[in-house]
Amino acid sequence: MSMRSLWSAVTLILVAVLSLTAAPPDVSAQAREEPPADNVFTGELDVQMGQRVFQQQCGRCHGEDGTGGEGGPDLTNGFRSASTDEGLFKIVREGIPNTQMVGISRRSTDQSAWMVVAYLNSLNDTNDVDLPGNAANGQQLYAGKGNCSGCHMVNGEGGRLGPDLSQVGNRRDPAELVSDLRTPDQDVAPRWWTLRVTRADGTVVQGLRMDEDTFSMRLMDDDEDLWSFSKRDVRSYDRIKTSTMPSVNATLTDAEVDDLVAYLFSLRREEI
Amino acid sequence: MKRLASVIALGVLVTGVVPAAAQETESQPGTTPAFSPVTWERLLNAKDEPHNWLMYSGTLDSQHYSGLDQVHNRNVGDLELKWAYQIPQLDRAETVPVVVDGVMFITEAPSNVVAVDAATGRQYWRYNHSLPDDLRICCGRNNRGVAILGETLYMSTLDAHLVAIDARTGNLVWDKAVADYRAGYSKTEAPLIVKDEVVTGMAGGEYGVRGFIDSYNAKSGELEWRAETIPGPDHPDNQTWAGDSWRTGGAATWITGAYDPDLDLVYWGTGNPGPDWNGDVRLGDNLYSDSAMALKHETGALEWYFQFTPHDVHDWDAIQVPILADLEMDGEMRKVMMWANRNAFFYTIDRVTGKFLVGKPFAKQTWAEGLDANGRPIRIPGTSPTAEGVTVSPPIGGGTNWFSPSYSPRTELFYVQAYDGEDIFYKRDEDYVEGDQFTGGGGRRPLPVENYKSAIRAIDPKTANLRWEYEIQPRSTAGIMATAGDLVFSGSVDGYFFALDAVSGEELWHMNVGRMVHSAPMSYAVDGKQYITIAAGNVVYSFGLRD
Repeated sequence: MSMRSLWSAVTLILVAVLSLTAAPPDVSAQAREEPPADNVFTGELDVQMGQRVFQQQCGRCHGEDGTGGEGGPDLTNGFRSASTDEGLFKIVREGIPNTQMVGISRRSTDQSAWMVVAYLNSLNDTNDVDLPGNAANGQQLYAGKGNCSGCHMVNGEGGRLGPDLSQVGNRRDPAELVSDLRTPDQDVAPRWWTLRVTRADGTVVQGLRMDEDTFSMRLMDDDEDLWSFSKRDVRSYDRIKTSTMPSVNATLTDAEVDDLVAYLFSLRREEI
Repeated sequence: MKRLASVIALGVLVTGVVPAAAQETESQPGTTPAFSPVTWERLLNAKDEPHNWLMYSGTLDSQHYSGLDQVHNRNVGDLELKWAYQIPQLDRAETVPVVVDGVMFITEAPSNVVAVDAATGRQYWRYNHSLPDDLRICCGRNNRGVAILGETLYMSTLDAHLVAIDARTGNLVWDKAVADYRAGYSKTEAPLIVKDEVVTGMAGGEYGVRGFIDSYNAKSGELEWRAETIPGPDHPDNQTWAGDSWRTGGAATWITGAYDPDLDLVYWGTGNPGPDWNGDVRLGDNLYSDSAMALKHETGALEWYFQFTPHDVHDWDAIQVPILADLEMDGEMRKVMMWANRNAFFYTIDRVTGKFLVGKPFAKQTWAEGLDANGRPIRIPGTSPTAEGVTVSPPIGGGTNWFSPSYSPRTELFYVQAYDGEDIFYKRDEDYVEGDQFTGGGGRRPLPVENYKSAIRAIDPKTANLRWEYEIQPRSTAGIMATAGDLVFSGSVDGYFFALDAVSGEELWHMNVGRMVHSAPMSYAVDGKQYITIAAGNVVYSFGLRD
């Protein structure tokens, strides 16, 4: 067992013990006076402990798996308000002023906060993995045979009728990308459903569902024009929950799908 | 692939059916296919499409004036709230939305933008900018608006980036680091489009930065030119800074400028010299701090400058929106720039040459005997900050500040938010440390705010004389919009939004919207209906006439 793993095991036990006893309010305050500059709680057990704390204290808003919820953003695709572990720790510990984001319980230790940081980083792990495909070939397929750029943007270039893929490698792992390409109807986000609106005169406007509420809806049509409808002013509307993207099964070989996945997985934000 | 959506299989899972009564409607209100690309020609002629508000100040001359007159001084009492958009951040909004063909773009703290239907306030898309956790910002997580060219929005961010965003989707097109935020630079102002470039400033005047105005290629994001607001040692004006003080002299550029297409000049204000309140370490006039700069757009070369407050020691940034108009003065048509400065003086300047034409105090001031023939202040001795403190008017926040004034070509009056306050100014020694605040002092208000007069003042720019004033209690730090309906809209710190008669200053309508009004109103129309919009607290409200 390495020293780090040993330390993690010890801290796991410590945390377990501490969690059984009510920590006095000033314990965390004392510990916060001199937070370590780097996270020393980054072992596998630390991540597991961090996940547990996250699920208990953060999951209600950010989702059990950190992918976001009604109260908090997705934390698996980078962080909007932190660029360092120290910054993440501060937010986990203290929250973000002027927002709904509050820090974890004052009764939680700084160590727990660091473990949450380790867990959050694990959700954003962009370490390279060995993929069977060739990313350079995949880039050519993306623009050519795959016809992806007609609907998707990468760094400002491309169409608007599908999700921006500039950093898709940060939010989708290779297996998910394969699934997206082969069975696009399997998991369609509401943003990419289609709204089919029949207006009072019987004419139809159809497009991607940008937003909808009780009384109104907004969509982008095939010409990439924006439309806004009051529901009371239209005859009817339909939500079509299938994807507008065709499966690649009929157009690309298995090797080409591997290449395309390799390219898409390479599309990630620049690390600071 | 634009045909894709029309050839999909219709796997209908949920169907909404509206009541029969609604089906009988012949017309189709509420449907708005939007929007057309905003060309440079459209921006040049923005006055010709008053139903849109195409840039921060409405038009390139920055008059912050709406040509719409459906709401006027006889029916303004029939205004009612049409919609409200809640910004999901608690920060005080300073944004002025842009509206293009029925789509409104609203910036939010810290550095986000959302597109909404301008008739309902409901969202199309949003862009959230990722920020580092160690920002250096003196005065709140502010953003004041976007610029648009073609189908791309341009926005400043608190980490001193300029981002280009697709206006139909919110997708990021490019992201340019303008300066190093770790050294105290940030960006809060709405950029200004000039031809095919994005002209933009920076903030950070309290951090010992060195100011500049940049112009970027709108398509590629490449820097076309940078105009330093503090000249380097190879320029004679560098001698207006003692020693190396120019390196940390501030002169930030954190509010949007104006542009004259005939002269091809960009006009931009500059902020305080640094350290703010201790001028001992930067003896000299400190050019071009607290100045209006006129830059040739092609190159960024300085055509002329006008320094309002030489060697400022009170933090009186010349961070006001320059308002351009052509006025008949002494029987001659003059191309002028009107400027109510934080130092409490109003100026009318020839914008071709930078020559001072007329100027007088528009708010209480105790620091100058007046202006000389060139518009230079004649300083009263003993008004500089000391260790013990010196009481001076105007206060640190100024006789006015960054919030937009307005000019009506109908009344030929300049409308400004004025404040007759005072502060006790202090000076202290301070060393520069990169990334830390570098202010050299501070100030405090000696009496409760109710002791000081706050007012909207209408000034005749030909004489700098006061035409009328409307007193506000306890005070206002809101921008102003005049309209072709002969109305002046503004607000107050205690949440009132109100309309005055532009000719007389008489109050015609008011409503309390709950929280501080700190931004400027704007106006637009959708489907023939005029809207008046204001951000207050963290909510954007749109008003229109009762149906």
